Amino acid sequence: MSYQEKNITVSLITYILILGFYLVNLFQMLQEGGLVSTRLFSLWAIVIIAAIIVNIIGSILTNIVLSIVHAIKTKTNENERFITDERDKLIELKGVKSSYITFSIGVFLSMLTFAFGQPPLVMFSLIIFFSIAAEIIGDISQIYLYRRGF
Amino acid sequence: MGKRQLRNNIRKLRFHHNEMTQEQLAEKVGVTRQTIIAIEGAKYSPSLELAFRIALVFGVPLGEVFSYEPKDDPI
Repeated sequence: MSYQEKNITVSLITYILILGFYLVNLFQMLQEGGLVSTRLFSLWAIVIIAAIIVNIIGSILTNIVLSIVHAIKTKTNENERFITDERDKLIELKGVKSSYITFSIGVFLSMLTFAFGQPPLVMFSLIIFFSIAAEIIGDISQIYLYRRGF
Repeated sequence: MGKRQLRNNIRKLRFHHNEMTQEQLAEKVGVTRQTIIAIEGAKYSPSLELAFRIALVFGVPLGEVFSYEPKDDPI
């Protein structure tokens, strides 16, 4: 598994955990009698901030751990060639494209719920859900491309 | 024009250059070993610049490293 694959895997795991946290809280709220705007806004804030911060920390920790593991393996201070080449950039672009398509479809479906008479909170909850799901789809497509070769 | 595919002789050229490893070639052309593996396996078509860099490492014209052949033809 290459350096990029490891990084994407960490990102994928963090997004899955965040999506799980979001869905659990959302369903709890629904079971307790419906969506309450104040609680929902704070949940969105937590999820969005967690998605940003946890990903940054995850990326930094992955780099540190990989460097330590590499130093132990090779018993040198030489940094592993953590480079991003043209193939990595193309795979990243394809991943972003998958995310974008998923998110676009998600936004469309969310708006449909509003068009069919659901409250705006349902629409925005779905948009947040699809934004995280889009990241997960993007990461999965990148891992798939790395596994296949391109 | 029928369907064609980019083929390469990188494996053979590496062998004739002191059995150069994929890692060594990757380092010389500035890409990862995974990219060299993908190019050798004809799974990834490199950019023109990378193709020229690979040819330069082996000191041969581009046409000796890469060829554009009909898809069904064996190597």
